[in-house]
Parts: sequence; structure tokens; C-alpha cells
Amino acid sequence: MDLATLAWKIEGMFPNALCQWVPVALSVDVPAATVSPGWLPGLELALWRSAAGHIAASSNRCPHRGMRLSHGFVRGENLSCIYHGWSFGPDGGCVRIPAHPDMTPPATINSQNKAVLEAGGIVWVCDSNPKSPPPDFHGLVPVRSLTIEASLAALEAAARAVADGKGLLAATIDGVRIHMALAPLAGPQLLAHVLVAADSTCEDRIAASRAAEAFRRMAEAMSPESAAA
Amino acid sequence: MTRQPMIDEWYPVGLVSKLSTTGQDTMLMGQPVHVALGNGGEPLVTAQSRRFPVISRFGHVWTSLGEPKKDLFAIPEAYQPGRRFVDVGVVRVRCSPLRAVENFLDIAHFPFVHTDILGAEPHTEVQRYEVEIREREDEVWATKIHFYQPQAAKSAEGGITTEYMYRVPAPTCSILYKTCPPRPGEWDVITLFVQPLGEELCDVWPWMALFDDTTPMVDLIHFQQLIFLQDRSILENQMPRLLPLDPAMEIPTRADMTSVAYRRWLKRHNYTYGAQLVAQ
Repeated sequence: MDLATLAWKIEGMFPNALCQWVPVALSVDVPAATVSPGWLPGLELALWRSAAGHIAASSNRCPHRGMRLSHGFVRGENLSCIYHGWSFGPDGGCVRIPAHPDMTPPATINSQNKAVLEAGGIVWVCDSNPKSPPPDFHGLVPVRSLTIEASLAALEAAARAVADGKGLLAATIDGVRIHMALAPLAGPQLLAHVLVAADSTCEDRIAASRAAEAFRRMAEAMSPESAAA
Repeated sequence: MTRQPMIDEWYPVGLVSKLSTTGQDTMLMGQPVHVALGNGGEPLVTAQSRRFPVISRFGHVWTSLGEPKKDLFAIPEAYQPGRRFVDVGVVRVRCSPLRAVENFLDIAHFPFVHTDILGAEPHTEVQRYEVEIREREDEVWATKIHFYQPQAAKSAEGGITTEYMYRVPAPTCSILYKTCPPRPGEWDVITLFVQPLGEELCDVWPWMALFDDTTPMVDLIHFQQLIFLQDRSILENQMPRLLPLDPAMEIPTRADMTSVAYRRWLKRHNYTYGAQLVAQ
């Protein structure tokens, strides 16, 4: 096992110890003018895309009264909180407080946006200053994401394979080979982005999606949490 | 650990109209209690060997786990002839009881949470109003609040600028006085009585004393329940669940003067059940 893989498994660092870029969602699942929740280890995010297509990852907490910004709405190039309509720009700065329409919001009010980029159809977020780019899943394209209520160890046991230092798990079931890019969620939960070879047919992609569901069921049946329940 | 002064306050634990001899189990500040009708027709609040003090007032049964130092607050309008009294019922909310009260004191959310009912864009501005802690009564008061409302009440026809007054006479209770569309010069009374089940879970009992002779009772109840269910979607998604009393934790503006005074008043009295003192 290489050092990056070891760090990832022991420290929960995704996907590598140096830059900690986390694959939080597929690009297609955050369409223009929408917001949805996302997760970094220990931190909730509001992932949103402006009307013009600009992607952003804010802390999922409005600095005003603590409301989850993922319940908010996107208008134009800004994300607004559903509670009082406070609006934040792509850099996180507060641009509007509707209760005081004539006031310019102080520069200190900020939605704490994180470093975010899109590569290979995946939205990557980093909580610190990224020192290197996210891993390159060359030749693979995303199919879908799914949540797995199991630990990484349980999924690896189900897949009879181990994740590499990029956080990528390759596995085969009933002759269908898939890759899963993994990210941690709260508790013993994983977010898995299913990837297939770029030249896969529509049927291949459907089969990959079903294979991922099979691994999910096996991992969840193996997890001590589901055994207890 | 010092004694939590909120233990000596009165809290609602049920509707007088729903009392039965079999009774109901509920919770108050983590203590399981049983609320029932006694043989003499009087409400009883008990827990195994203990019997708690009881008051029946404003449609609700009130009790206290401690030793109340004063009577339950008064609402003079509750005895005014011509008003209809509305038991709205109960809404369980997974939030701090103090967050539930603070949300009730807030008007700036009307256009976004109660869209086209209690508020609507572009009428979002909150004009300056007055807030004070009345020392003699030991209550928080906010007055001279004006806000444009598309449908201020079930009885309102079209948009009006409504005037509001808020009163906080107890840490988990608030009373709202607002313009009464069918009777100018009088105030409709809408209250929020919050039963703290735990620090992050509460039962909210709204109650109203209105001048409205025409709207069917069921419509009055539905209107208020709709409003409160809209609030619940907010209250269950605020982080942290506890109300932060550390000023560094959340950023208020001039529109939040009532909330700021409420938090200050809670802190002054050490009313911290459901509050977070230091940012975590």
C-alpha cells in the first residue's frame, strides 16, 4: 500500500493527504440556477451553480441566523438564504440584505466559500489551500452518484478490492467492471460516484449502475450498523 | 452546576379543552409528566410520586417543575368581550424552544418564508422600530413595527400595512399584537406558548384572541397552522440547534433589534435552557 493510500484510509483524508480535494457531486447533478447540499469531512456545504454556469461551494450556514443555505435559491449570479433573503456572490461576499435594501452589506459578512473546480464531470471541493490538482481519472466518465450506508472497510470487503490513493475503487461483479470514486459522509456513510470507461455504451452504463447497487446492498448487509438494526 | 432559573417558570403542557381522566404523557425539560383531569374536574400534572403546581389559563394547562416566584403573566385582552379564542393545537419542532420564540419575534423573514401571505417581495424593508426591556414588568417589548402584508389575517382582503407589537413576558412565551383588519383601533392577539420538551425539542402551542365574527373556526386554525408549518421548515434547519448567546456566532442587523434584546434579556436572567453560551 502506498503512502497516500495509507493516509487516506487511516486519517480519512480524501482523496490524498496533500491537497484533500473531495469529489462532492457530479457536475450534471448541480444544474444552472440550483443549490443542493454537499459534504466535506466535518463540514456541510451548499453547492450551487449560477444562472451563467459558475459553480460555487459555500458553507451550509447563513452567517445571519444559521439557516442551511442549501434550502435557499439561486437568482442570477447569487445564492440567497431562504430565511431572510440575504444574498451571496460567487466569492462568498454578501451582496444584499433585503431588510435594508439601501445598505451596502459590510465586507465581513461572507458565506465562507471553499475552493471548487470541475474536472472529468466531477465537482471537487477543498477546505484548505489546494497544493496540487485533484486526481485525474483519465479515460473514465461518471454515470451517477449513490449513498452507501456502510464503512469503507465493508465496501472493500463486498467488492473484494481495495481503494487506491486517489480514492478510486475498481471492482467486478457478474462480468461488469466499474470504478467508484469515494468520499466520506457523516458517520459510517460513503458517497460513491460510479465511473465507467469513456467508450461505454448506454447498456454498459445501465449495467454499471446496477452493479453499484449490488455492491451497496452487499456492503450495507455486512456493516455492523445494519446487523444491529 | 448552578440551578437553572427557567425551572421556576410556568410552561404550557396541554389544552384545557382536551383534558381527559385517562390523561396524556408528555415531557417538560426532560422530565416525563402526566397531564389529566382529576375527579373534581381540576387539571392534574403529576410524575410518579410528585404533583406539580397547575394553572388553567388562555386555553392551556400550565405547570412548573420548580417553585414559581410569580403568577403566570397576564393578557388583559383574554377577558375582553367580543373576542374569539382559538386553540390552534400543537406543532412539534426539533429545535431549541428559544429559537422558536426568536423566530416568532422576527418580521424580516415574512416575504421569504410566508410568501404572499405575511409578506412579499419587493416589500422587504424593515423600518426602524422601538425595542426596550421594561424593567418594572421585566418584559421585552418591541413597538411601532410597520410591515406591508399581502394577507395579514384570514379576515384581511388584499394587502395592508400592518402594525405589530411584540411582548416577551417569559423565556418561552411571546404575545403579538397586530392591526385588526375588521376593527381598526383594536389589536388582534396571537400568542406563541412553547413547551420545552428538551433543549433541542419543543411543542409549540399557538393561541389567538381575535375580533373576527365571520371566519369559520377551522379556517382560523388552518391559517395559523400553515404559517407555523412554514416556520418549522426553517427552525429544523438552523445550525446550531441551540440558540447562540455568543455575539460572535451570528450577525444581526437593525431589523433584528427584538432578537438582540431577547438574547440580552435571556443572558441577564441566566435563562439558558436551550441556549449555547460559547461558540463551538
